Amino acid sequence: MDELDKLKSSWKKEENTYPKFSEKDIYAMLHKKSSSIVKWILIISIAEFVFWISLSFLLKDSPNARNMQTLNIDYITTPMSIISNGIILYFVYIFYMRYKKISVTDDAKTLMQNILKTRKAVSVYIFVNIAYSVLSAIIIVIVIFNTDAGLNTLVHQAEDNGNKLLFYLVAFIFSIIILGIFILVMWLFYRLIYGLLLKRLYKNFEELKKIDF
Amino acid sequence: MGSSIESSFVQQLQEHQNLIHKICRLYTNNEDAHKDLFQEITIQLWKAFPQFRGDSKFTTWAYRVALNTAITLYRKKTRTINTIEFDSTLHKVNQEEYNYEEEEHIKLLYQAVHQLNDIEKALVFMYLEDKDYTEIAETLGISEVNARVKMNRIKGKLKKILNP
Repeated sequence: MDELDKLKSSWKKEENTYPKFSEKDIYAMLHKKSSSIVKWILIISIAEFVFWISLSFLLKDSPNARNMQTLNIDYITTPMSIISNGIILYFVYIFYMRYKKISVTDDAKTLMQNILKTRKAVSVYIFVNIAYSVLSAIIIVIVIFNTDAGLNTLVHQAEDNGNKLLFYLVAFIFSIIILGIFILVMWLFYRLIYGLLLKRLYKNFEELKKIDF
Repeated sequence: MGSSIESSFVQQLQEHQNLIHKICRLYTNNEDAHKDLFQEITIQLWKAFPQFRGDSKFTTWAYRVALNTAITLYRKKTRTINTIEFDSTLHKVNQEEYNYEEEEHIKLLYQAVHQLNDIEKALVFMYLEDKDYTEIAETLGISEVNARVKMNRIKGKLKKILNP
């Protein structure tokens, strides 16, 4: 008789030693709030979508955006905002479809896979969004450099002083630093939120994959 | 108190609540955590209840939901405390059925099981519940052969924990 079989015989005898919850206790439990990670993933994901969408609306009304309207570069900004909205709609749809697929009655491995896939849809959205924002920023900066009269004067002044290269270099380094800080903050945020939330799930998923290797 | 569906669910759960207690027994080691996990499993069972069509037994359906909650969905709220404290309070086995030595040995066995990871505990739970390897494999989403291999490894691991 191995150790687990010894435990099994005790396990069966323990049946009547467990606490007994009444129907009233169980009713009360049904109306308590769940602390399930799926619920948290849903809340955080919706918050992320809302954050990025509101950010784009807020930026539209910023003084910089109003300045840009005077530059008459709608031929660039209009397609860019259509693509940006398309990206949002696509990822909200993917997220919703994957979220609907999460079922607690699936086997453990499928359930974990579906949760991780749902989460991944939002992560991919964030990274696509960042990449698209960076690309948009580069395009807009190039267009502004070519169309903004004030900026053109500055470039010409730098050119006259023989500092054209230095001017571009400073602008480039400044942009890289701002971008670096932004990416670092995002990365730390993700490490913190999802590290805490999904650490156990990843560990268990890896364990299941290892068993079936 | 609630709708007829709700009362049917509560009745069935009340009747089969030991199933959930047993899972809590393996995944928690203090009374607060036990109640916390029990509550989360109850909520998840209730949320999934519309999918329960009655073509399988309530317990068969509930096993899967309860285990999935313990392994995947549950976020621990309370920090774990000493295993011994819990073992000697909540689940004191009837003195008449065990002698002291046996009781001590069982306590050590539970402590060893608590050292296993979540997936290993799920396998142990289903083994203790006399589930066959087909059901164990289906519940976890692994192959039957690998479930057997893993079970043998767990037995070895427990032996090692108990006899270092």
